[in-house]
Amino acid sequence: MKPHLPGLLGGVSAAALAFSAALVAPAAAQDQPLVIARNLEINSLDPHRAFCDTCQIYLSSTYQGLVKLGPDEKSVVPSLATEWTANDDQTQFTFTLAADAVFSDGSPVEAKDVKWTFERLKNIQGDPSFMMAGISSIETPDEKTVVVNMENPNSEFMGILAAPYVGIINSDVAAENGASAGADAATADQAETWFLANSAGSGPYVLDTYRPDDELRFVRNENYWQDAAPIGEIVIDQVADAVSQAQMLQSGQADIAMQVDPDTASTINSPDITIETVPSYNFIYVMFSPGAEGNQVPLDLEVRQALAYAIDYQGIIDFTVGGEGEMQASPIPNGFPGTEGLPMPEENLDKARELLAAKGLEDGFAIDVTVASMNVYGVDLALLMQKIQQDFARINVTINIQPVASAVWREQIANPGIPFSARFYAPDYYGSAQYVQFFGMIPDSWWERNASGQGKVDLVNQKEVDLLQQALASSGEDMEKAYHEIALEMINDRIIVPVVSPNLVLAYRSEIDGVRYSACCNLPLAEISRK
Amino acid sequence: MSDVAHRSRQFALPHWATLPVILGGFIVGAWIVIGFTVPFWAPYDPTMLAGMRFLPPGAEHWLGTDALGRDVFTRTLYGVRHSLPIAAAVIVCAVVIGCTLGAIAGFVGGLVDEAIMRLVDVTLSFPPILLAMAVTAALGPGLGNAAIAMVIVWWPIYARLMRAQVLAVREREHVEAAIASGARPSRVLFKHILPLCWSPIIVNATMDFGQVILLAASLSFIGLGAVPPTPEWGQMISDGALHFYRWWIAAGPGLAILTIVLGFNFLGDGLRDLLDPRSK
Repeated sequence: MKPHLPGLLGGVSAAALAFSAALVAPAAAQDQPLVIARNLEINSLDPHRAFCDTCQIYLSSTYQGLVKLGPDEKSVVPSLATEWTANDDQTQFTFTLAADAVFSDGSPVEAKDVKWTFERLKNIQGDPSFMMAGISSIETPDEKTVVVNMENPNSEFMGILAAPYVGIINSDVAAENGASAGADAATADQAETWFLANSAGSGPYVLDTYRPDDELRFVRNENYWQDAAPIGEIVIDQVADAVSQAQMLQSGQADIAMQVDPDTASTINSPDITIETVPSYNFIYVMFSPGAEGNQVPLDLEVRQALAYAIDYQGIIDFTVGGEGEMQASPIPNGFPGTEGLPMPEENLDKARELLAAKGLEDGFAIDVTVASMNVYGVDLALLMQKIQQDFARINVTINIQPVASAVWREQIANPGIPFSARFYAPDYYGSAQYVQFFGMIPDSWWERNASGQGKVDLVNQKEVDLLQQALASSGEDMEKAYHEIALEMINDRIIVPVVSPNLVLAYRSEIDGVRYSACCNLPLAEISRK
Repeated sequence: MSDVAHRSRQFALPHWATLPVILGGFIVGAWIVIGFTVPFWAPYDPTMLAGMRFLPPGAEHWLGTDALGRDVFTRTLYGVRHSLPIAAAVIVCAVVIGCTLGAIAGFVGGLVDEAIMRLVDVTLSFPPILLAMAVTAALGPGLGNAAIAMVIVWWPIYARLMRAQVLAVREREHVEAAIASGARPSRVLFKHILPLCWSPIIVNATMDFGQVILLAASLSFIGLGAVPPTPEWGQMISDGALHFYRWWIAAGPGLAILTIVLGFNFLGDGLRDLLDPRSK
């Protein structure tokens, strides 16, 4: 039999290729782009206007804060600042910047950049601007020293500085491209479009390209001043649903799938894929907006209490995440300061009926519900609402569900308001104040504004305002006690009702190393490598 | 001639009553009966919990249960109560609007004809699903709005068909005779032209029933038609896609759409054979 020459040649070259691949494997593997399947849902890439879960991943990989969250997920450890001190009453914080810290363009990180960044975040009045509330002045005695003065004590300021939105921006580059940090930054700043195509931080990665609803691509920051990131290029691919993400993971098109729900995860059975289910600080909540225009019945406290009693909380955990989740007492997630011993939400149909009867609503009523048609943390929000629809039907309350795109939801919640809806939240740092400032009924918090219909109904809870001041001025047990009391007030407000804290499914190909959930940053990209 | 042969000729089916037509008629008839009677005998409530979630098909739940523990079989049966009425409403509205405008265009002619037919051309130049999506997106999700969108998509087809029929019939001798004898234009149109134009409209309308059901399901699938928890077939298939590995959630509504569309297509074929002398 004559040898088949092309076949033989093919075999030889394949063997040669395999041999050479084996020789260069470790380096080549890290050069191969890492693909993450995820629903992007990005509202902006401007660090001070962005406010989304993917934004946390993006910002924590391309920018660095003065400090970062430690491996214990609670303490803060040095990042751009090598050391810091606070005065006794927590009103003045002094930072010393790392001498060798440089931005991605090679220019040094200086005190003026920190001052500019903090002032821009405060003045731009974006979603994360509340983090800089209370700063009275920032001094820069020299190029590497920053002094931040607060109007009032703020024991949580160091925690805030670990949030991805507080990453330090290269002020010279940003200002050249239209960014402004002045008091009129909310109108004068023109840099949002520029930030969609460029990053200007000192993080381990830089932005390569962003194509909305398609992909977000990072490349390694070659000027990174600390240990270079192992993977050279990372792509977050827009994949909306959990099933497609799981399929991409199984077919090898994706290395990490970020939003696989427990139900779908249970169908993946491949030795090439690692599935980890870990508790998270993320949660899904429902909320009432008494100030929304569409209310057919005034959603006063008793009605809200009745509706909250009618929710089958355990059923929601079983039906939306297949039991892979925890109940959450208040809008401050389990495990954060002040949450120990809080009463868990209770299903009590008798109380619900009693409260409605007292209001003359025993025959029920209807509420319009607009909900973003999306799947977050494995929970399909429209499905969750259908479960609540079944629950409310038991007390004769009908809900009319209208699923819309998430961007439409964002517009509608502010105006004309949405009487009843569901949403989600992930922490930005370890600390309870962020939840009070976002969910609490304190003047001008995100939910005080939107739930009250931009002030049409008075929902402000003065006790929460006072207790927050008290919490920020104290530390240790006193602080925990103050947050505990705030949490109880927030439960009693019945504006925000958490329904499930879903466990997080980490699904990735087994050759990937370093995948973990971080309380501030979702997925720290710089820790990921190939085995 | 034997008695048997004589009897078989006596009971011979008409030429159009082929097996597909009988099958089509049976399927459509069965779905209509289900639509009217299902609330009286359905095993479960279509929107409420009926058992554990994600139960595979079995004796208790013939088509299993979905993510909220609702019986897929019951929801599939209830689905026809949304799909058929919407299809009927869309077809009736499209026929009325389209035929009126088409008859006017064909009979009056001139500038009126030009104006109506250009409007028809513009509307037909959009892909139907795209136009329906645009209209539904503007009006908001919901079956009612989806129906309005579909009427906007469908009327031009009937306008064009009716105009062609009117143009053909008005050239016939009996119409010329009626005009010569001094009949009023409206009498000519209603008494001498329109009665001869209906056959292709009826055939087309029957065939389109299935297509409207498909489009309505498509709109619901992409979130622009029925809103949760309506047991609408497109919406149910969309739920099934979320839980891809639980095949039974989408299988029921999928089969329902398949059978009803097939039924209407078979029926439409038979009607064409019956009403169109050229197809004999």
